[in-house]
Amino acid sequence: VRIRFPSLVHSAMSGEEEENAAELKIGDEFLKAKCLMNCEVSLILEHKYEQLQQVSEDPMNQVSQVFEKSLQYVKRFSRYKNPDAVRQVREILSRHQLTEFELCVLGNLCPETAEEAVAMVPSLKTKGRAHSDEAIEKMLNDLSLVKRFE
Amino acid sequence: MFCLSEMEDTVRVPPDLLNLPLEVAIKKVLQKLLLNKVLSIGLCVSIYDIKSAEGGFVLPGDGPATYKVRFIIVVFRPFVGEVIAARFKESDSNGLRLTLGFFEDIYVPAPLIPRPNRCEPDPYNRNQMRWVWIFEEQEYIIDDSCQINFRVENISYPPVPTEQAEDAKPFAPMVITGTIDDDGLGPVSWWEGCSERNNEDDDT
Repeated sequence: VRIRFPSLVHSAMSGEEEENAAELKIGDEFLKAKCLMNCEVSLILEHKYEQLQQVSEDPMNQVSQVFEKSLQYVKRFSRYKNPDAVRQVREILSRHQLTEFELCVLGNLCPETAEEAVAMVPSLKTKGRAHSDEAIEKMLNDLSLVKRFE
Repeated sequence: MFCLSEMEDTVRVPPDLLNLPLEVAIKKVLQKLLLNKVLSIGLCVSIYDIKSAEGGFVLPGDGPATYKVRFIIVVFRPFVGEVIAARFKESDSNGLRLTLGFFEDIYVPAPLIPRPNRCEPDPYNRNQMRWVWIFEEQEYIIDDSCQINFRVENISYPPVPTEQAEDAKPFAPMVITGTIDDDGLGPVSWWEGCSERNNEDDDT
């Protein structure tokens, strides 16, 4: 007997499919991604937190401490809070021929200049890659335009 | 950084959970099995999604129902060369220990602290040594006053000890060695014009 569960976005658990789909609306791109930015993890874990509270009989125990503390960490170290902004950040970074890894480091640390970006992600300047300072500055500029809050 | 990882495993759901909706029961078993454990792909911090479950047979003489489950987890997986934001936890004559809250086995050994520097007894904490970086005749104390960026130099996975002395430190299945000796690394306050970037709450 094979039971297929709908994905998180359409979770049948609470019976409120539409609501859940609307809540986690950072788009599907991140699902294909292997690496996540802190701001994406923040939205995911926050969403899960409510579900965890609903179904858990015992209060947060030792094992779920890691969940709570991870949520605390990603909330603290994310610049972008609302789902639209988070989606935009990934979209912008995706346009610049970055690896998954580079995209996430930049999205996490939010460098302000091309120099800082290269210090954090030296691979931007390795041989054969086309990332000029101008291109990096443009990318950082696009990022700075993303509204952090609603 | 954090990653999503798809896995497949055999999950045994004990009889006392079988009255719950299946997805809930399987999630509970997976949480107990995987949360806060270091797997080959990283430290598991959350069960993200159950994609499918097959089986449900009760094997003869065995109470639990067995399912073959495909699921996705969120893991913390450090990469060598990755720059990560952390906080100061403690320091001694060997170097610094940094923390992410959910993961605390990050060590910056003395050779990876920028020089010149000195190590001295911490006037605010008798049991601790503190590190001070000296740059252009200014002294920069390394403490918990702000975010510290470090770069991952090495990740090790010590084997599980067969015995441990009673007063031994708790076993750390994954240990990160980091450096703060490079541009942009170390306490963020060291970098001129770089105020706190992220949403740092007050230290509470």
